[in-house]
Amino acid sequence: MIWRFIIKRILWMVPFLIAVSMVSFLLIQAPPGDYLTTYIAKLAESNEVMDQASINDLRQRFGLDQSIFVQYWKWISNIVLHGDFGMSFEWRQPVSQLIWERMALTLLLSMATLIFTWAVAFPIGVYSAVRKYSVGDYIATTLGFLGLATPNFLLALILMYIGVVYFGSDVGGLFSDPFKNAPWSWDKVVDLSRHLWLPVVVLGTGSTASLIRIMRANLLDELNKPYVDTARAKGLSEFRLIMKYPVRVALNPFVSTIGWVLPQLVSGAVVTAIVLSLPLSGPLMLQALMSQDMYLAGAFVLMLSSLTVIGMLISDILLVLLDPRVRYE
Amino acid sequence: MSDLSDTSGAATTGADRIAVASQSQLIWWAFRKHKLAMAGLVITVILYLIGAFAEVLSPEDPNDQDRRAVFQPPQMIHFVDTSAGFSIRPYVYAMERHRDPTSLAVTYTASDRKIYLHLFGKGAPYVFWGLIPGDLHLLATEDPSDRVFLFGADRLGRDMFSRVLYGTRISMSIGLVGVAISLILGVTLGGISGYYGGWVDTAIQRVIEFILSLPTIPVWLALAAALPPSWPIYQQYFVITLIISLVGWTELGRVVRGRFLALKNEDFVIAARLDGASEARIIFRHMLPSLTSHIIASLTLAIPLMILAETGLSFLGLGLQPPAISWGVLLKEAQNIRTISQAPWLFIPGLFVVFSVLAFNFLGDGMRDAADPYEQ
Amino acid sequence: MALVWRARRAKILSLAAAAALAPLAAWAYQEAPALDAAVKAGSLPAVDQRLPEHPDVITPHQAVGTYGGTLRRMLGGSNDHNSILRIIGPQGLTRWTPDFSDVVPNVAESWEVNADATEFTFHLRKGMKWSDGQPFNADDVMFFVDDLLNDKDFYPSAPGNYVVNGQRMTAEKIDDETVKFKFAAPYGLFVQMLATPLAQEPVLWAKHYCKQFLPKYNPDVQKLIAATPGVQDWPSLFRLKCGEVESPTRWGNPDRPVLDPWVTTKEAYTAGATRVVMDRNPYFWQVDTAGNQLPYIDHVAMGVAGDNQTVVLEAAAGHVDMQRRKLDALANKPVLAESADKGGYKFYTLDNAASDTMAIHFNLTDKDPVMRKALNDKNVRIALSLGIDRAEIIDIVYQGTGEPWQIGPKKSSPLYNDQLAHQFTQYDPDKANQMLDAEGFDKKDADGYRLMSDGRRFTFNVNYTGIEQPDWGDALEIIKEQWKKIGIELNATSVERSIYYSRGEANDYDFMVWNSPGGLDAYFDPRDFFPIHPQGSWQAIPWAKWYLSGGKDGEEPDASNKERLALYDQFKQTSDPAKQKEIFGKILQIAADQFEMIGISSAPPLYGVVNKKLGNVPDVIPASWMYPDPAPTLPQTYYWMK
Repeated sequence: MIWRFIIKRILWMVPFLIAVSMVSFLLIQAPPGDYLTTYIAKLAESNEVMDQASINDLRQRFGLDQSIFVQYWKWISNIVLHGDFGMSFEWRQPVSQLIWERMALTLLLSMATLIFTWAVAFPIGVYSAVRKYSVGDYIATTLGFLGLATPNFLLALILMYIGVVYFGSDVGGLFSDPFKNAPWSWDKVVDLSRHLWLPVVVLGTGSTASLIRIMRANLLDELNKPYVDTARAKGLSEFRLIMKYPVRVALNPFVSTIGWVLPQLVSGAVVTAIVLSLPLSGPLMLQALMSQDMYLAGAFVLMLSSLTVIGMLISDILLVLLDPRVRYE
Repeated sequence: MSDLSDTSGAATTGADRIAVASQSQLIWWAFRKHKLAMAGLVITVILYLIGAFAEVLSPEDPNDQDRRAVFQPPQMIHFVDTSAGFSIRPYVYAMERHRDPTSLAVTYTASDRKIYLHLFGKGAPYVFWGLIPGDLHLLATEDPSDRVFLFGADRLGRDMFSRVLYGTRISMSIGLVGVAISLILGVTLGGISGYYGGWVDTAIQRVIEFILSLPTIPVWLALAAALPPSWPIYQQYFVITLIISLVGWTELGRVVRGRFLALKNEDFVIAARLDGASEARIIFRHMLPSLTSHIIASLTLAIPLMILAETGLSFLGLGLQPPAISWGVLLKEAQNIRTISQAPWLFIPGLFVVFSVLAFNFLGDGMRDAADPYEQ
Repeated sequence: MALVWRARRAKILSLAAAAALAPLAAWAYQEAPALDAAVKAGSLPAVDQRLPEHPDVITPHQAVGTYGGTLRRMLGGSNDHNSILRIIGPQGLTRWTPDFSDVVPNVAESWEVNADATEFTFHLRKGMKWSDGQPFNADDVMFFVDDLLNDKDFYPSAPGNYVVNGQRMTAEKIDDETVKFKFAAPYGLFVQMLATPLAQEPVLWAKHYCKQFLPKYNPDVQKLIAATPGVQDWPSLFRLKCGEVESPTRWGNPDRPVLDPWVTTKEAYTAGATRVVMDRNPYFWQVDTAGNQLPYIDHVAMGVAGDNQTVVLEAAAGHVDMQRRKLDALANKPVLAESADKGGYKFYTLDNAASDTMAIHFNLTDKDPVMRKALNDKNVRIALSLGIDRAEIIDIVYQGTGEPWQIGPKKSSPLYNDQLAHQFTQYDPDKANQMLDAEGFDKKDADGYRLMSDGRRFTFNVNYTGIEQPDWGDALEIIKEQWKKIGIELNATSVERSIYYSRGEANDYDFMVWNSPGGLDAYFDPRDFFPIHPQGSWQAIPWAKWYLSGGKDGEEPDASNKERLALYDQFKQTSDPAKQKEIFGKILQIAADQFEMIGISSAPPLYGVVNKKLGNVPDVIPASWMYPDPAPTLPQTYYWMK
């Protein structure tokens, strides 16, 4: 039964991804102008004169003179048939060279943030539901809200300023200089873990608070159900009593966050990543979108959408496993 | 019921009161017990009042520039004047500007000259809500040529205090309007999806997943690029609100659906169905009320998220644009090292963001707890 | 020209004399200790064999330096490859003197020009080598001219700097060290052009390496194309591997041989890069007066920062050794001044080659006929200019630096025109109001704004690029308040740069805001004096298109602009400096009389930060893209003082 459900959901992804790819492509093309407008702008600043003939030549070279359907078809068929994501106009480099490492680091950071968020939110959420209105509940929720209430980029900028000016620490980034371009090694992993905490904390503060809230709200709903009273009456220890059923049920919406936490982090992280100079996909994507570097932007949008779809698939499956009441038909 | 409304009656015991009070009364009593929630309510109400009466409350025109006041630090209000005997009369000290020729840094020193203030004096003219012209300000300088900067001045010498108050109007209302749109979309679609299941559920779920799976930034960029620059501010405001509300509704929809799926096999729903209750009745009378707590929890988290989303959009240059004033616009202007080191008072809008978000959350918290029918 | 040429010759001779005076026998050259090991191991030839017979002898700005160390800089996140070019330098046939006043030999040892400036003969340095040790000679130059410049696949339309009278430059190889460039008509500024970053191509590409990407030399090039993702034809493959003048790929391939002082390493400049490191070129062809091979500094390391604020912070922390790009906004100066002692740096000054920080380019070819008529009225333009209180803007936005200014060459330039620079810069709203009344804008609406002839409010809805230039937004907000007093409404919106340019392309604007070039480099960037730039002469883009297409596109300019364009044609074909100046002066005078655009503030000197221990850095450096600062001050002579 569960396998049928999973296979069905996977099959669903195919038309879904096709639709996502089309809409992504349309979105990227939506703003007026194309990459050439950006390029001409750049040249104009360094006083290079570009006449109409050269502009037309370039437009042809980049294939921007064709209709949007032809462009889409060329793009998607190259990806599907050859695994070729095309050329970044701006960097004059194959897109596939540019995205993988950034995507990997983005995934890594997202996972680290997710784990951090859960590790903080879960115990606090349970605690503040069970000890409702205690001093601990107030302190925990206030701190959680403070994290939520501070705009991430503001927090990042201020933390960085304090770190640099008063403690002489590195400015942003995920690695120290010697490791930036070094191949992966144990030392590099250690170095990464040393730098990772700042973005993880900055990014995690926002979602932690909302998860605490959700956990607390769900658990409170469950704790008032008759079966809890029954279990308590039967003499189950308070800890087991809470952990065994109510927490499991309350986890339900928690799990459905896996799906959307990734795109949210990637989008939300753009601003933070820009401020902290993190080599993530967000800033590169934003820049590609701004300069209408469409193959690069397209690759990012497509990758992120696909990851989200996979994330949602995982969370749906987990949901079914955790809560037998949710039927998978 | 009539005698029961007399809550001070000695004959009525507490238990009886609870047994027969209306639901809204119950909720209010429960809510009052939650002190942080009460504080949240008060702050929220104050913020909305500030937003409503920004023109009167602000001492200056928020767009009025003054080169002599560029980056002027906040001025303290003094109340006791001893210069000519003892008198209670609010005043601030005028400030003088100096510029360092090499570092170009501007510094201010307080001079001896006092600028006296009075309540409900005449000041810069305004049009209240764009309808009623006026020039009365809660706090005004006695000499109209003087200016007072309670939160300091920004890089163009504009009064931050007035700007923050005007920003309150836009930012607080964006959250409210945005969340209303999210609520309608999220609850309707999520509810339908969860209640009916089957292909309806599948279709709606796919739509939600589709929207969720598109990274928000390209969507924002595309929409923002479609915004004509000549549009007046209020029109831009509504489009931005719409863009922001797109952030929230899918999440709410997913949550509502999950709850509906779980609820629809609960005994009381099955009982209602067996009783022959109409579907609308089952949804609105039986299932939705048991979801209220959850919806409220999500909503109170959604409003501040939208306030934050507005600041984020502004940072990326996609949100409201000056001369519109919102907390996001103000924070965007403060986003640089120079402000941190030379003019930290420009981060005051950030404090307002923090306070409003906190207030909303505590408020929602209290409402959620109070609305819980199984409580106590 | 002949006269000038003699002067130049004399300079070269004196340089040669300096070289002879120094103890410069072939065995006297020294090299960096960092290279010792490789030379001892035999993997690198001795320094004498690596240098050309006549290396370029550089007199350091302050002192002969010492070897070693790393120079740290920052790049912006978005495609900041030109920042690398600015420190590595455009190693063209010629280069600017550090004071931007003249050109001197660089890769070329010397040159001659024929009488009518149509033929240029360059003598290369015998025995000079690419960074991989292969010889550099006339064949490399010919490779560019014959196989690239005159190839229609590679350049469907050629770069403008090698085209005169619609014909591409040709070249003739005289011997291994001598090439002669030929043009269809006189090209008065060619030698100067070669010193700018815009014309490095003749000595950019090593034939022995780059020819593998041409079907002419490599029949199997199709295999290479197929094996490289994202590439469909050989020109794209060539540009990916060998780069172009202004392209990030130029710094992305460590295998490409170069003539630069530092070479690309594995930590190259690609889109994902967070740090770029370049190492010394062991074959670099310059030495100092003591015979030490340059550069002094071993590595150039550049961090990549997505946000300009990060660059400011890095500089404040003392992590940046010399930089002005991305941090030279006047607003940052107080912050940087505060941390200067702690960060161990000081400021250096940049003599801004621009003329005005912000010029309002009224659209003389506005699509809207009513607005067009208004903007073509000189008195309206004068009134709008008188309605701006420049002192206030300068005080608030430009930190009190700069003086009220329209456009045009600076006082220090020989082309300075007082009328062009200063007319109508006084603040006189009463006069402005009178003039607007007199020009038929005397009716006002309920809000006090003037009405145009068709009853519409006199309103400018304008865009500016607020992300790059937040100061323009501030200035426009102040102008908005000031123009309100003369009954003119102004609404300004910040847009993304490409959207900004597409409005220009569509001729869909009433005025555009941009800084005005031509303070020191008017010859090379005259776009504000007549419509020459199809993307940057905002005052009349259709006119520029008309001129550049020979009358096929765009709109025919008015008589005054046509006169200036005709004079410019004359100017371009003149090689006598006195005559050049005379013709250009005429152009500027017409521009002054026409008063087509208004400016706000003279471009104030910029500043950069430089580590206190970094030697040979001048205190004042010109700033321009034509003079890609600080490269012409020769960063290869910078060194770490003990």
